[in-house]
Amino acid sequence: MSVKLPEPIQRYTTEHDEPLRQGPYRSALRDERLAAILGASLGILFSICFVTGLYSHVHQHPLSWLPIPARPAGLYRFTQSLHVVAGIASMPVLVAKLWVVWPRFVAFPVAKRASQVVERIGLFPLVAGGIFMTFSGIANIAQWYPWRFSFTASHYWMAWVTMGAIVSHVGSKWFITRRALKRPSRRPALAAADPVLRTTAEGPGEGLSRRGLLTTVAAASGLLTLTTIGQTIRPLRHLGLLAPRDPTVGPQGFPVNRGAANAGVVDLANSPAYRLEISGRVARPMSLTLDQLRALPAHDTVLPIACVEGWSYSAPWSGVRVRDLLDMAGAEPDRTILLESLEPQGAYRTSTLNSGQADDRDTLLATHLDGEPLALDHGFPCRLIAPNRPGVLQTKWVTKVVVL
Amino acid sequence: MSPATLEPERDDDRRAGPRFWISAAAGWAIIGFGLRGIFEKSLDTRPGNLARFVVGGALLHDLLVAPLVILLGVLLARAVPGRARAIVQAALAVSGIVALFSYPLVRAYGLAVNNPTSLPHNYTANLLVVLGVVWAVAAGMVIVRLRTAPGR
Repeated sequence: MSVKLPEPIQRYTTEHDEPLRQGPYRSALRDERLAAILGASLGILFSICFVTGLYSHVHQHPLSWLPIPARPAGLYRFTQSLHVVAGIASMPVLVAKLWVVWPRFVAFPVAKRASQVVERIGLFPLVAGGIFMTFSGIANIAQWYPWRFSFTASHYWMAWVTMGAIVSHVGSKWFITRRALKRPSRRPALAAADPVLRTTAEGPGEGLSRRGLLTTVAAASGLLTLTTIGQTIRPLRHLGLLAPRDPTVGPQGFPVNRGAANAGVVDLANSPAYRLEISGRVARPMSLTLDQLRALPAHDTVLPIACVEGWSYSAPWSGVRVRDLLDMAGAEPDRTILLESLEPQGAYRTSTLNSGQADDRDTLLATHLDGEPLALDHGFPCRLIAPNRPGVLQTKWVTKVVVL
Repeated sequence: MSPATLEPERDDDRRAGPRFWISAAAGWAIIGFGLRGIFEKSLDTRPGNLARFVVGGALLHDLLVAPLVILLGVLLARAVPGRARAIVQAALAVSGIVALFSYPLVRAYGLAVNNPTSLPHNYTANLLVVLGVVWAVAAGMVIVRLRTAPGR
């Protein structure tokens, strides 16, 4: 390839096989070891996001051969808080990493070997995927949807693309990363005259050092974590200056994502014609009024509502056990059930419970929250509350229980 | 501190061994799986619209954000005296990241009507508080550094 670029552009390109710091990119921070540390950190953070994201996906798209157990009760809450915390923390790392390796983006000729062609093509899904995953995740927790695609589906499938690109990238950077991480962390390599450039890097004290940059990245990640984690850790809520939710703000002092008015259920939920129907494969189909439902033996439990968007709260609920209702209706043991909401439409108007989830002692159709009747926005007349479950599948305004 | 402390690039870095090709094959198989999912579920993923955001995000970074940050770095290196420079660089980087993260909150794009839960804070004021703390800490560090390391 003997293509020549025009001189003004040529001046800002780099050589593939030379160190990161070259040509006009003279900062001592264009450094192999920094790239390795930031890259390894990103790899870990993105892997945490991927695994916890997969876990949420399996909740929302149940696999018959992999039934999700109802316990531990707080597992979903923990994994999704971790997903959002790791995702937010990865943003400064991603930005720093892209800056450090910038000279590699502008390498020209674009590739000299077949392996380099493969590697550089792979950079596209890597960088574009990393930026997209971070941007779409942060937009989603702020409930900002400037696009027309479904966030959940696109974030999920792009996660595979991004993870694939990471796998490929790890293979191509394996040796250089290992060597860079092994090298003792000392400044001479930065301060010494570079034989290629015949220039001296900035001396210590002027501009950020390598450790200074890593501290800066950690400070940025830490600051974002500190100012958002209050949306899931209640005692830290006063620090949640940039948290999209406050775990104490909402009807009855608890947050909701989708209120009754926006779900279009206000009239249906308040109507005296409301009934809870238990049907499907049962011996005795039932149709209960709200008074009849409230007259059934109630059970108390403390369970979290945990949103995939990283906010959560734990609250005392009270209501009738789903398994008691199923037994009253004469459902067979080992039963899968479908719950239907009063909501006329919406992706989350129904949800299913496998037999382990349906039969858990804490799986309730709750009529009370914190000792008071449920507010309309929390799912009045009754809502599902079950352990280890995405908030969006804790179906509100339940009107039908169908045994499948 | 002789130039000899710089290790030469080793052959390992350049030669693509089996590890490279196996990871590349596995990685591209996973990428393929993801792409197949995007096209199979095209009613949800809207590939055209999705591509605009995926490609657009990368281009926005590569053609606009990255060159601007590099330019800003060059200007900063010239404008800020050596002893304060590292701290100003760090404070600017943290500020930029926090501002970028808060942008959709400050603009209240996701504000839902009829829902008191939605975006409960005054994010403009809160962002200013966070930035104020960042720069107060930075100013304190600059003062300490100027006092403890005079005339370097």
